[in-house]
Amino acid sequence: MNRLFAARRPLGLAALAIVAWVLPYRLNVYWISVADTALLFALLAVGLGLVMGIAGQVNLAQVAFFGVGAYGVGILTTAHGFGFWLAALLAMVAAVCAGLVVGLPALRVQSHYLGIVTLGLAVAFLDWVTNAPVTGGDSGLSGIPTPPLFGVGLSSQYLYYYLELIVLAAGLAFGYFVVRTSLGRRLRAMRDDALAAGAAGAEIRVLRMIAFVLASVYGGAAGVLYAGLIHYIAPETFSIADMFLLLAMVIIGGRQSLWGCVVGAIGLTVAQQELINLAAYAQLGYGMLVVAVVVFAPTGLAGVPSRVRRWRLRRWSGISAAALGSFSGVPSSGRTGAVLEVSGLVMRFRGVIALDRVSLRAEPGEILGIVGPNGSGKTTLFNVISGLYRPSGGRVDLDGRVISGSRPWRISHHGVARTFQHLRLFGNLTVLDNVRMAMDRTRSWWSWRYVFWPVGVWRHERELSRQAGAVLDAFGLAAFAGALPHSLPYGIQRRVEIARAMASAPRLLLLDEPAAGLNGDEQRQLAEIVRAIRASGVTVVLIEHNMGLVMSLCDRVVVLDSGAVIASGVPASVAAQPAVLEAYLGTTTLPSEAS
Amino acid sequence: MQSFFQTLVSGLSFGAVYSLIALGFSLVYRTMGLVNFAHGAVLMTGAYLASTFYLSARLPFAVAVPAAVLATGVVGLLIERVLRPLESKDVDLMLIGTIGAGTVLEAVAILIWTSSGRGVPSPVRAAPLDVGGVRIPVYNLVVIAVAAVTMVLLTLFLQRTKRGAAMQAVAMDPEAATAVGIHVGRSNAVAFAIGAGLAALAGSLASPMLFVSPTMGDSLGIQGFAAAILGGFGSIPGAIVGGLGIGVIGSFAAQWFQGYSDLVTFVVFTVLVMVRPTGVFGEKTVNRA
Repeated sequence: MNRLFAARRPLGLAALAIVAWVLPYRLNVYWISVADTALLFALLAVGLGLVMGIAGQVNLAQVAFFGVGAYGVGILTTAHGFGFWLAALLAMVAAVCAGLVVGLPALRVQSHYLGIVTLGLAVAFLDWVTNAPVTGGDSGLSGIPTPPLFGVGLSSQYLYYYLELIVLAAGLAFGYFVVRTSLGRRLRAMRDDALAAGAAGAEIRVLRMIAFVLASVYGGAAGVLYAGLIHYIAPETFSIADMFLLLAMVIIGGRQSLWGCVVGAIGLTVAQQELINLAAYAQLGYGMLVVAVVVFAPTGLAGVPSRVRRWRLRRWSGISAAALGSFSGVPSSGRTGAVLEVSGLVMRFRGVIALDRVSLRAEPGEILGIVGPNGSGKTTLFNVISGLYRPSGGRVDLDGRVISGSRPWRISHHGVARTFQHLRLFGNLTVLDNVRMAMDRTRSWWSWRYVFWPVGVWRHERELSRQAGAVLDAFGLAAFAGALPHSLPYGIQRRVEIARAMASAPRLLLLDEPAAGLNGDEQRQLAEIVRAIRASGVTVVLIEHNMGLVMSLCDRVVVLDSGAVIASGVPASVAAQPAVLEAYLGTTTLPSEAS
Repeated sequence: MQSFFQTLVSGLSFGAVYSLIALGFSLVYRTMGLVNFAHGAVLMTGAYLASTFYLSARLPFAVAVPAAVLATGVVGLLIERVLRPLESKDVDLMLIGTIGAGTVLEAVAILIWTSSGRGVPSPVRAAPLDVGGVRIPVYNLVVIAVAAVTMVLLTLFLQRTKRGAAMQAVAMDPEAATAVGIHVGRSNAVAFAIGAGLAALAGSLASPMLFVSPTMGDSLGIQGFAAAILGGFGSIPGAIVGGLGIGVIGSFAAQWFQGYSDLVTFVVFTVLVMVRPTGVFGEKTVNRA
């Protein structure tokens, strides 16, 4: 079925291209101007879709990027006599700078905070253009020249349509290139779970800035084209009402799909022109549509086909756990295990001491178990080692190099991978993409290739896919490569998380309660997997409540109680210590296998 | 110095209005985790209702305002009912859903009252007080007094009544609240209705100082939201401090930077949020893995 879709796609694209190309021949002067406006909104919407739908950053300042592009061209051509294209280039630079400024708060705040800050900055921009003499204030700027192209002036709206069409096609192609490859995968992973993405090596701060820069490039380009099309700009074009209209386009079309954004933009522009004398009714209509979409179809129009398909698939086949292959060894990474040395680690949360001078050591090829009652600081310890928390005191060394206090992505690049007590898979990424995302060891600045060396991106992508396929095969997960994590049984999701952690070829693996919620059979498979990981030389530290598993699996055990180490040694001797029995079990009898 | 105090007085009067708006935001947020971007539009609805009762129905201002507050509370219940499926789900979707609801309210206002807007004469005709050369309009004092009384009443309601205590419980832990028999849905609805009523109060109090129009909620809503965040989102004393803060910043910005007051206010606000995202009274939260 998928192959069928794949075969149809180029045909569909070709048909669409032909329709878009001959469309102007069928349109009168009025409708061609509508089409020109619709394409500009589509370009703006794709930019907003990238930052909001793909990267999950609430951006209510897209209309300001549009304004910066338009005013940049307007000011430079009318007041300073620049040629159109030079002005356009500088305006794009200005738009990118605006993107960096608007993106700055995203480093500190997210979701609704980010929404209000970006909206505030959009209002600030509007305030500036309405008052500044250089922007012409309320009356705006007029007399912006028509862009010349190869000696031809694009004064005809029909010719301008083609210019916009080409820019939009290029924008969409680039957008899809980003979304489908390394950078886009990281952005989507960050959207689904920024914490897990950071722990898997994604530089969250840089990615957020990249998302805003992408949005500003599309917004700026739309602004430049708008100035060249209308020749006149005034503040009301960049109002908050237009921002919300743009948002409605993206939401109704489907924010996670670039095509959806285009369809939403064109649909709403056309509908608005049809209802131009009933503007309030049009506003009422799209407002209600937005509410209906977020309540009933959060992925918008673009999400409808996949919802239908998933519903039908579930009806006639469904994904069965039987397709789970057997585990066939850890693919060798060529890296050896690392020595983890934790010394005198202290972690305080506003007076509560979660870790009290914890010291421990784990050697390559060793499985170290960490046990202790709930609230004894086990997960806090992992959070400090993996960089989610900055310790209040003490240090963590990996092969003699201090890692404590570094950011999670840096620690991931040093070779530390982890799983989470409560599964943290990227919900809207397929199993294959979950693995490919963690496998991607490039740094964010590597992304310059997207602009200057796309072939390199493409090669990297092929290599990632090959290696990720090997990991899925090894973990017996090949049958689920295209599935979304939450559609899988719980035990399989746990295995996917371990596969994801191992995909980054770590030297130290931290497993946080890997057996929680697994049945007996799955626990045996887990033990087999963890032993194989040890055999490949990786240092393994695991937190577990299942004492049977700890006793049989771990080479050494460290017992935490109230944030302090109260015992360590081989499992049998630790289990016999009275202090451990009292603190951890509360009784003086050994636990049975019943747990 | 005189002009300094003059600016301060005007800032505090608007600040009282912003505090009321911020209070509505915070109450809804702490109870149901919903960030209500329709708050500005709800405020506008309240302002229109009050001005209609006052100007067209010729009710006394002191009757028109409570009537508008009640009517807007009902509008709030309606919005809450429509958006209920999104509660405690995706925060970003809720944000967008409330923006949609705000768009609808604005469109309805244009259909009923047209987009031209109207001025509301001040209900207090007494001459401004003169305190050491600083002229204080009596109406501004009324606004500050009404806002202060409302805040005291709200605090008493939350701390002294059973319903208020139930709402506090829902705010802290919805699941535990359900377990002890609190109807979370009803609690949320009440919070939303009170939030809408507070917005209506803010809108109708502000209407003689401003101009009532379908877009009046845009700017006021954003300012009030900024106030809520500045004070610490979800905190009631924070809403008061944040509201007065934004009012004073805006007033001085208007004095010193003329037309650029929005620009200055929001740039200052952005910097403040970046320096201290949790606001003045906000609690620090920790990532949980």
